[in-house]
Amino acid sequence: MAVDITLLFRASVKTVKTRNKALGVAVGGGVDGSRDDLFRRSPRPKGDFSSRAREVISHIGKLRDFLLEHRKDYINAYSHTMSEYGRMTDTERDQIDQDAQIFMRTCSEAIQQLRTEAHKEIHSQQVKEHRTAVLDFIEDYLKRVCKLYSEQRAIRVKRVVDKKRLSKLEPEPNTKTRESTSSEKVSQSPSKDSEENPATEEHPEKILAETQPELGTWGDGKGEDELSPEEIQMFEQENQRLIGEMNSLFDEVRQIEGRVVEISRLQEIFTEKVLQQEAEIDSIHQLVVGATENIKEGNEDIREVPHL
Amino acid sequence: MASAAAATAAAAASIRERQTVALKRMLNFNVPHIKNSTGEPVWKVLIYDRFGQDIISPLLSVKELRDMGITLHLLLHSDRDPIPDVPAVYFVMPTEENIDRMCQDLRNQLYESYYLNFISAISRSKLEDIANAALAASAVTQVAKVFDQYLNFITLEDDMFVLCNQNKELVSYRAINRPDITDTEMETVMDTIVDSLFCFFVTLGAVPIIRCSRGTAAEMVAVKLDKKLRENLRDARNSLFTGDTLGAGQFSFQRPLLVLVDRNIDLATPLHHTWTYQALVHDVLDFHLNRVNLEESSGVENSPAGARPKRKNKKSYDLTPVDKFWQKHKGSPFPEVAESVQQELESYRAQEDEVKRLKSIMGLEGEDEGAISMLSDNTAKLTSAVSSLPELLEKKRLIDLHTNVATAVLEHIKARKLDVYFEYEEKIMSKTTLDKSLLDIISDPDAGTPEDKMRLFLIYYISTQQAPSEADLEQYKKALTDAGCNLNPLQYIKQWKAFTKMASAPASYGSTTTKPMGLLSRVMNTGSQFVMEGVKNLVLKQQNLPVTRILDNLMEMKSNPETDDYRYFDPKMLRGNDSSVPRNKNPFQEAIVFVVGGGNYIEYQNLVDYIKGKQGKHILYGCSELFNATQFIKQLSQLGQK
Repeated sequence: MAVDITLLFRASVKTVKTRNKALGVAVGGGVDGSRDDLFRRSPRPKGDFSSRAREVISHIGKLRDFLLEHRKDYINAYSHTMSEYGRMTDTERDQIDQDAQIFMRTCSEAIQQLRTEAHKEIHSQQVKEHRTAVLDFIEDYLKRVCKLYSEQRAIRVKRVVDKKRLSKLEPEPNTKTRESTSSEKVSQSPSKDSEENPATEEHPEKILAETQPELGTWGDGKGEDELSPEEIQMFEQENQRLIGEMNSLFDEVRQIEGRVVEISRLQEIFTEKVLQQEAEIDSIHQLVVGATENIKEGNEDIREVPHL
Repeated sequence: MASAAAATAAAAASIRERQTVALKRMLNFNVPHIKNSTGEPVWKVLIYDRFGQDIISPLLSVKELRDMGITLHLLLHSDRDPIPDVPAVYFVMPTEENIDRMCQDLRNQLYESYYLNFISAISRSKLEDIANAALAASAVTQVAKVFDQYLNFITLEDDMFVLCNQNKELVSYRAINRPDITDTEMETVMDTIVDSLFCFFVTLGAVPIIRCSRGTAAEMVAVKLDKKLRENLRDARNSLFTGDTLGAGQFSFQRPLLVLVDRNIDLATPLHHTWTYQALVHDVLDFHLNRVNLEESSGVENSPAGARPKRKNKKSYDLTPVDKFWQKHKGSPFPEVAESVQQELESYRAQEDEVKRLKSIMGLEGEDEGAISMLSDNTAKLTSAVSSLPELLEKKRLIDLHTNVATAVLEHIKARKLDVYFEYEEKIMSKTTLDKSLLDIISDPDAGTPEDKMRLFLIYYISTQQAPSEADLEQYKKALTDAGCNLNPLQYIKQWKAFTKMASAPASYGSTTTKPMGLLSRVMNTGSQFVMEGVKNLVLKQQNLPVTRILDNLMEMKSNPETDDYRYFDPKMLRGNDSSVPRNKNPFQEAIVFVVGGGNYIEYQNLVDYIKGKQGKHILYGCSELFNATQFIKQLSQLGQK
């Protein structure tokens, strides 16, 4: 196990100090002191880089704190049942999204700026390497914080999609209960988020619209409230057909959703890979261009040599 | 008890892990390292000397250093530019020149803050030197922390360590055994060894019970180590073995056993030709600190006159713990390794084909409507294929690596007929009858380098009960010189033999057999790259080398004339006990074998094989230096020169 001898070191410093005093050697005061002050001051302008780097880091830290603080509320699904205090409306969520995106963009711009500046100034190889690495670290930090954000967002989007799916397929295509269910739906929708209202309201209206003509035709035709057995049978067949249709639609939609999610994931992976390759392709391009030049020059040189 | 079993399992937490954890903590400004996915980045610069470099490089890769926030890693004695506003972590040995350089750094104000970590404990006077320089540079506040790390040893495997790489000449076999060594020099050598061993036990967090043979360098080491441990334990304030260094129940009831042996009990094993993968790589290729350097010879071409000759391609590979193939097969006999590489290659190709097939299915999409229904299943397959691509690539890299390494080894085996040597030596060492005469092999111009022949002869000389007659010896010597060998090692071995004749009984080894050709033909039939044509398919039968035997006796408390008069030290006992009678009668669960004078992978592998059969027991192997036969012969040759 490692042993901390810092205290021992400080004690040694004291010992040396007293010994030097006894021997009459100047200890860090006078001329040395001012020289050291100068020394300490001159690195400061160079320290500009690191102070700006630290600024960027603190910004990213603020973003991270902000996201983490509101994360619980953001993800909370049953916001409409919560008290006023904990609720977050969709507009607020949108606001958070927007703010976060702007923030991230400014941060990455700042990092880029630092990078170009660092390369412009002439410094030793080691300092350059160090700065590149520092900027890599900061970028990595930004990526991690962005991941927080995108995770939240993904959860939110998924939840919206789920809700949409559920709300669309909820009403049973049953004539007797259609109206009641659609009326249920209509009463439910105001309590749901504003976004979904147009979608959900559409559907019950459609169903209402659908039922109207049917009831209408039958109503006109018979003029009675009772339905004959054949009619009942036909209604039932129609019901079955519609149920079948709805179910198959439902299945297809679910499949498509699954595939879309997969595809989006794949796309994410691909974009990452393509971005990675971009830098390499650039360098390959440079190399090829350089090689072509070299070959051209080589050919010219060969041509110049008088044939023997 | 289940808890005791769990405790022993945890206790055998490898030395590699412990050292890595210690290093990581040091790099984290001496604070335990916790992974935090949204933590702010901190950056630092790492400065080390060659000792520090040797310790860190088998344990942490450059990427891992990056992950710990290290932007630059530099050698202490290189030109370093001032980098403002960055903390610097130093990891160096407390030698004069290192201290001087550090003081210079302080004076030049290279970095913002300094975290000084000394590989082994620094003396008070040197600490004052640094204090002096810090005062002169008004940099005292910049020296943030100073630590004694006690990490002065190099861990190569989970259960294997060596003392040093940089100054191994100081503690080499030759250094310890040369006839013209003075007492003070011997003291220095012993102190170096003991210092490292002490650091080892501090890191391990246990005080061992020490046993060693009498009258050897190992005994000197044991006495000094015992003294050092004892002093440290007595010093209650500064003891390194109390409190949080020893977690409760971490070592269950038992303390480990430290067996100190001297190289001189067994000189045949370092010369032995070997047949297991790791030992072979160490023997024939350039392999140290877990890195193997290969020279790929480009094919012979007719280059047009005047063109520059093609350079040989140099490649180096790191054989690390994450390399699963290596971990699995480093102790396997070579034909098995060849076969496994082939198998891995085949399974990789199958996976690759799977991915390619998906690609073609995706290509169908636009043409055939009916294929769309297949698609939903395939999207999922595609996602899993894409996400498994990095794994596949890594697998391919490992396969390439091992193919190259194994091919290089195989070339050596074929060129030097190492399988013949191996078999013959095994027969000599196990005293079975020899079918070919030794003289034949030595005079055979095809079989092996002069060095191989020398090794063979030395093993023969060491293992025979009676020395060969003068006439025979002359014959052998002539044959050896004809083959181009240097006879100096023989000189030394003669002396050694005379010296140890009074000592222990000759080493007895087990026996080995050749397996029938079935396995070999299968390898050849699969069109394998590894055409082991003409190479015998030898299988090792479990045999115990002398070191393993000694360990077995001591660990299991068996009575054996060889080990009965070994000395016994227990640093924890109040009075220095000089008896040979162990107080503890129970077999040990943990043991550390340390060879003073050098060791090699053959012994290590033998111990690993030995302990595999025993449930719940663990062995660590260490040596003062790690050499292969070439290096050992060189040392013997130097010793034999008068």
